[in-house]
Amino acid sequence: MPIKVYIHTTHRQFTNGLEVVAVEGNTVGECLNQLTKEFPGMEKALFAKKDKLLNNVEIYVNHATAYPNELLKPVKDGDEIHLVTMLAGG
Amino acid sequence: MFTPSERERYDRQIMIKEIGQKGQERLKRSRVVIAGAGGLGSPIALYLTAAGIGMIRVIDHDQVELSNLNRQILHWEEDIGRKKVDTARTKLRTLNSAVEIEAIDETITEANVSQLVDGCDAIVDAMDNLPTRYILNRCAIEKNIPFFHGAVNGFEGRAMTIIPRETACLRCMYRGPVPKEKFPVIGVAPAVIGSIQATEVIKYLIGIGKLLTNRLLIYDGLKVAFNEFTVNKNPNCDHCGSLGREE
Repeated sequence: MPIKVYIHTTHRQFTNGLEVVAVEGNTVGECLNQLTKEFPGMEKALFAKKDKLLNNVEIYVNHATAYPNELLKPVKDGDEIHLVTMLAGG
Repeated sequence: MFTPSERERYDRQIMIKEIGQKGQERLKRSRVVIAGAGGLGSPIALYLTAAGIGMIRVIDHDQVELSNLNRQILHWEEDIGRKKVDTARTKLRTLNSAVEIEAIDETITEANVSQLVDGCDAIVDAMDNLPTRYILNRCAIEKNIPFFHGAVNGFEGRAMTIIPRETACLRCMYRGPVPKEKFPVIGVAPAVIGSIQATEVIKYLIGIGKLLTNRLLIYDGLKVAFNEFTVNKNPNCDHCGSLGREE
């Protein structure tokens, strides 16, 4: 069973409108590598530079924060990764 | 003790067994500061005023503009050009004259924040930017005052309640500054999030229910879906953890 990556609303323009993308990997970082290979637009949406997430990106694995060292967080088949952006408006 | 008028006004909420007369009296004795009188601040202030909080201090430095009116429901066309805190005070006093409204026309800074929130039982985040939220977050922790976070963008919003020294704070997942940008928003998003924040404040003040602590609630208005994520208190947090400055 693959790992499901839930794409934030503002990022779905880079995934052809897909809300959920199935990937495989042993860590969050590996999963995101596969995601960005399939959807290159997600690279700029998530990363400031290689292996450095943008400051406004939050990652949750199975509905729990993956902070800190999000990319190294281990995942297994059936897990869910939510990619979320911080909000600042009020 | 309540006057006959107060008893009649709050009758429907006193009927709620978790509130009752004791809870209502607790609300009347409470003092709440709302940081921001905009999209979030409007529903927060309206519902807390309607609920019968004893004193509400509203802080904002802006004047009402036409572009505010799609979401900032405390302010109307006739208010354009007026200070937001003045129009907020007028509306809130009209809604419930028994509630003391303090209108503070100031910019919240590191230098004045402690004085601005002094003497309050709760600080409600109704800001439109992250740097000021962090100023409030740190001050809330240092003064041991619960902090009720909310933020919106588009149809989306989020909320979390912070109890200093006990739960994760707004800074616990901090990675660095985020560039400030003009955010899109439709009024129904802060209406939902502001109402949740006001609910949390009421629950906290009375001491009922389960607070939104160590849980980040994210609302997607386009799907009308709520997602809840567990967050953890970070022992190395520079606000609430070991890296925080000494009190």
